[in-house]
Amino acid sequence: MTYERLNSLLITMVVTVAFIWLAIPFTMAVLWSLVDPAEPWTADKLLPPVMSFYRWVDMWENSSLRYALISSYTLAPSAALLGLCLALPTAFALGRFDFPGREFAKLLCLLPLVVPPFITAIFFSALLFQLGLNTWRFGAIVFAHSILFLPYAIRILTVSFETVRQDHIDAARDLGASAWARFRVAYLPALKPGISATLLIVFIQSIEEFAIAFIIGSPDIVTIPTLLYSALGQDFVRPNAAVLSLILVVPNVFLMLILERLMRSANPTLSSGKG
Amino acid sequence: MAAIGIRGLSKSFDGFQALSEFSLEVNQGEFLTLLGPSGCGKTTLLKIISGFLEPSTGTITIGGEDVTHVPPERRDTALCFQSYALFPHLTVLQNLEFGLKQKRVSRDQREVRISEVAAKLELETQLEKLPNQLSGGQQQRVSLGRALVMRPSVILFDEPLSNLDAKLRDQVRVEISRIQRDYSLTAIYVTHDQSEALAMSDRIVVLNGGKIVQVDTPEDLYSKPRTPFVADFIGGANLISGRVSSQTEKGPIIIETSMGPIKTSHLVKDNVDNVELSWRPERAKIGEGPHCGTIVHRAFQGQFTDLILEQNDIIFRIRTNNDKLRVGEVINFSLSPDDVVVLEVDK
Ligand SMILES: Nc1ncnc2c1ncn2[C@@H]1O[C@H](COP(=O)(O)OP(=O)(O)O)[C@@H](O)[C@H]1O
Ligand SMILES: [Mg+2]
Repeated sequence: MTYERLNSLLITMVVTVAFIWLAIPFTMAVLWSLVDPAEPWTADKLLPPVMSFYRWVDMWENSSLRYALISSYTLAPSAALLGLCLALPTAFALGRFDFPGREFAKLLCLLPLVVPPFITAIFFSALLFQLGLNTWRFGAIVFAHSILFLPYAIRILTVSFETVRQDHIDAARDLGASAWARFRVAYLPALKPGISATLLIVFIQSIEEFAIAFIIGSPDIVTIPTLLYSALGQDFVRPNAAVLSLILVVPNVFLMLILERLMRSANPTLSSGKG
Repeated sequence: MAAIGIRGLSKSFDGFQALSEFSLEVNQGEFLTLLGPSGCGKTTLLKIISGFLEPSTGTITIGGEDVTHVPPERRDTALCFQSYALFPHLTVLQNLEFGLKQKRVSRDQREVRISEVAAKLELETQLEKLPNQLSGGQQQRVSLGRALVMRPSVILFDEPLSNLDAKLRDQVRVEISRIQRDYSLTAIYVTHDQSEALAMSDRIVVLNGGKIVQVDTPEDLYSKPRTPFVADFIGGANLISGRVSSQTEKGPIIIETSMGPIKTSHLVKDNVDNVELSWRPERAKIGEGPHCGTIVHRAFQGQFTDLILEQNDIIFRIRTNNDKLRVGEVINFSLSPDDVVVLEVDK
């Protein structure tokens, strides 16, 4: 097989996969969200017979959507910030100090990710209830989310701390820099992409998280995913669920694009070239 | 008074002795080089002087003041890093300014000092650039400038030329020497390159295995190495052991070696029978002479030719201007007794 044919075959495959995975569900969601209650969209029709923004307006006016948006978009940044703060010391230790068992410790930090999220959620919330930390529900969810997504945060920040160059720290110190000035000139520029990436990832994960938000939050706190599940679970109103999924997914796609940008740029000015 | 005093300094890492019983005085305005093979403790010593490491025992004084336990940010030393260690997100100007801002030097003073140093290092047109927009030589100069604006009592260099290519290396070497002299800086310069050390230094400290082997001017180090290690490390001298056969009051001493008897005008300590001799490859006079050897290898180098000779299973090196000699020829040569140095045998 020639290189060109292989190439075109691969491109076809990528396009197909992207189509099946992204385009179809996305189009379906858009269509479903536009179904007018006047006439249902039955399986024999290719497109909904009557389309309108009724569902959107209805959801906005008559459900807890506004409340869910507010709580989701306050929970997520709070969890992202708290997660960052909790991850920094561990990542500093893992990234800057040589100690026996360091590689093992790094692996250990990632281990929670292999447990299915729902199981973690159930036991973690049980733990919170037992500790009596569930009285302030909002705080409890923020805490739980930041802990749950800590493995990502620690992993990313560990790599960032590893890229900080010891000679930059030493040079700053040699030139009389205090601990704070050393942090600003030697650590921060190298950590910046990692900090943004951590914030974004925890943010996105927290926005999408259902189990903990549901177990701890209900009935007081409604987030977009819990609203979505109730639209699907109790009433099974597919058009409403479609509206909610779109509200959930679209901002995340943009955040993901920003994240990808950040990861790729990973600060080209960081290493001073030789030559 | 000495600018820097190092007394009884030792440093061990988990039982590994990196420096032992190290004592040295560095004079004001002196260019002192620490020379030794890789792993002999040069960087460790420099880190102790700049404050990044605390010695296990011993003291360091700078300008008469004991600084053994003063941290690097409060020490009046400036380090030039092998990797330059320029802050990549700061411009050249901001890099030069960084230390002065930390020391709260006034804005006017900062401007004066930076423009002076930038002029000296020909960096005026580069001030707004980022380090990665500069060539290696320019980065090296910024790193030097960043140290110079601090006006430290001592400037420390850790193999500053090792990242540069050969041609640039010579140029920067000349520049560092010139600036050191212009500012009468006290400088401690670390290198494993003997030609750098010989060319730049007022004095050279030869280190091996964490110990001082010899401290001397470049000229004396070259002509009067004290140990086989120094003789070999600097200029690759020929070494041969022998027995003292006659030591008279007047005239040269004769040493019996496997190359035949060799005369030396240097003194041998009393009661010593077995000695180690050293002679420089370029000091052999080819032509008439008591010594001979077969050329087994020849390397033409332009200004001179290196010959490897063999005689009685002894291999030695001769450097000559004669480019007509070829492998296989047997040549005779002589050595002046002044050029044959008697070494102390390493314990
Ligand atoms: N932090 C350290 N821990 C353990 N051993 C070290 C440390 N730093 C240096 N050494 C050892 O000390 C010796 C001297 O190192 P160094 O001063 O860097 O040598 P040089 O600069 O002359 O090449 C080396 O054998 C090195 O392995
Ligand atoms: Mg070194």
